[in-house]
Amino acid sequence: MAAQPALPPVADQISRKRDQGLHPAVLAAGLAVIVLMLAAGPDYLGQSALLELELILGLAVFAAATNLLLGYGGLVSFGQATFYGIGAYAIALNWMHWKLPFWLAFSAAPFAAALAAFFVGLIALRARKLYFALLTLAFSQLFYVVAEQQYHFTGGANGIFGKMIPPALAVPQNGYWFILGVAVVALLALWKITVSPFGLLLRATRERPERAESLGLNVFGHQLMAFVLSGFFCGLAGALYAVYNQNAYPELLDWVKSGDPVMMSVIGGMYSFLGPVVGAFIYEIARQFLVGTTRDWQLILGVVLLVIILFMPDGLIGQFKHGLPWRKGGRK
Amino acid sequence: MNLQVIVIEGLSAMTTAASLFIIAAGLSLIFGALRVINVAHGTLYMYGAYFMATLFAASGSGWLFWVGLLVAPLFVAAIGAIAEVTLLRRVYERDHLVQLLVTYSLFLILSDLALRFWGTASLSANQPPSLSGAAMVGGVMFPAYDLFVIGCAVAMGLALWALLGRTMLGWKIRAAVEDPETLAASGTNVKRLFTLVFAIGSGLAGFGGAVIAPLQSVDPGMGQSVIVSAFIVAVIGGLGSIAGAAIGATLIGIVEAVGIFYLPSWAPAFIFVAMIVVLAVRPVGLMGQKLGY
Repeated sequence: MAAQPALPPVADQISRKRDQGLHPAVLAAGLAVIVLMLAAGPDYLGQSALLELELILGLAVFAAATNLLLGYGGLVSFGQATFYGIGAYAIALNWMHWKLPFWLAFSAAPFAAALAAFFVGLIALRARKLYFALLTLAFSQLFYVVAEQQYHFTGGANGIFGKMIPPALAVPQNGYWFILGVAVVALLALWKITVSPFGLLLRATRERPERAESLGLNVFGHQLMAFVLSGFFCGLAGALYAVYNQNAYPELLDWVKSGDPVMMSVIGGMYSFLGPVVGAFIYEIARQFLVGTTRDWQLILGVVLLVIILFMPDGLIGQFKHGLPWRKGGRK
Repeated sequence: MNLQVIVIEGLSAMTTAASLFIIAAGLSLIFGALRVINVAHGTLYMYGAYFMATLFAASGSGWLFWVGLLVAPLFVAAIGAIAEVTLLRRVYERDHLVQLLVTYSLFLILSDLALRFWGTASLSANQPPSLSGAAMVGGVMFPAYDLFVIGCAVAMGLALWALLGRTMLGWKIRAAVEDPETLAASGTNVKRLFTLVFAIGSGLAGFGGAVIAPLQSVDPGMGQSVIVSAFIVAVIGGLGSIAGAAIGATLIGIVEAVGIFYLPSWAPAFIFVAMIVVLAVRPVGLMGQKLGY
């Protein structure tokens, strides 16, 4: 409540939990095996499974990039779809209006998103907590209505459809490998950011902003940097979406779309790097399955989300870590 | 631009402002006492509208409109009370992300249930015969129902002002904002008070939906889009301030009317720009107080 002093977030425990879970070498080896298995996917997976994976890989980048703000920066943004959508629109708009080479547009997309994130962050980060969340949401809707209204430029509510990727990428296997490669590199880069001195300082701004400030840390500057970096990778994820689906439409920018990576992070666990990635896989596979079998997938999603929020604050990954029997003794 | 155009544009702006205030007031009331942003507030508003539309489809006669206006808020208040007791009560002590996600889950669940009960087709509710004509205002003809909506908003604002400022219940609500522990120590059941506030706020959403239903088609996307307007109005005014919500609603009503008049295709973007500008200048909204969250 209002009178309550702000408790240190659950995240405070992250420093204690850091050494739990699998040994880093085991984890790295396991991840390498998973990536290799994914790379060999076309040998044993059907067309529809590959397409599904293409979508999930992009969403995993989207979720991990959002979690840079959410889990590491303690910044609840309900507007990351703005940058996801900009990434997708950069490719689609270039294809429709400017006809520059695809690779140029693909490379420029994350930078366009990062630039937008810089200006959005400059304004939104002045507000605190809830106001920040609602302000990012407003930006999300601003871009949404602009994309929907300016139909002569953006194709309006229908969006832009067309053969916007080079023929080489349109070959299913190539498209899959391309998306997998970009996603793996992007996730590695994001992971590097989180363990860099910048990433540690970002956590400091989340856990003790006043203290970080008094120690001479520029809290606003670090948060803005995190916002721009997150925007960059959200934009990249959006560009991957354009490669996967060859279209861009206003709903990509919507606030409900912004909720997706937040949910993925919460489901997987926002206080570990892989949580959002795992969350993206679980969320999307479950969604596909439920959409096929029941009309009430939103209801089930809502209930699952409630259970996780109320009973597993560290998400499924956190649950798994706590559940490792041989680690229990070491836990305080 | 002659005088008649100004009167008509002004009245349209007031109608927009009125419908925005009706939806934002409950949101702000709940936030003021509970410090919770209810993402599902727009969905509760949609339930009020669906209730009205269903009632109308059942009969179509005028007097049922007045029954609906009375019963829809109670129906939605009951949903709100159930949600408060089962879910929100558990997360008042948790941080704002958890609270946002709980109400977001509620939004998902209630939207899904609405789809299940009412389907994807859009419904409509007619205006009662007594309010369906036009009325003369300042020398121009203006839809009587729009005037009724403005009247409802004014009545709601006055009722909330009287409730918060002139009754024991209102004093307790304001005390709960400042210091729930002392209030509890002085013999008030704060838990029940919070349930009541959440139910009243939800009821206001239900009332808003019921009032607005005859003006637009009632469809499953309603809650999702209206909540954004409600946020904007409440945030511009300052979360938790009813007077702020009234100012925010008026501001947005005027901005939208001016936008539609001069630059129709950019008008929907203007309200977001208005919010962004206000928050860039005053990060806690016009009437908001700086609080520790």
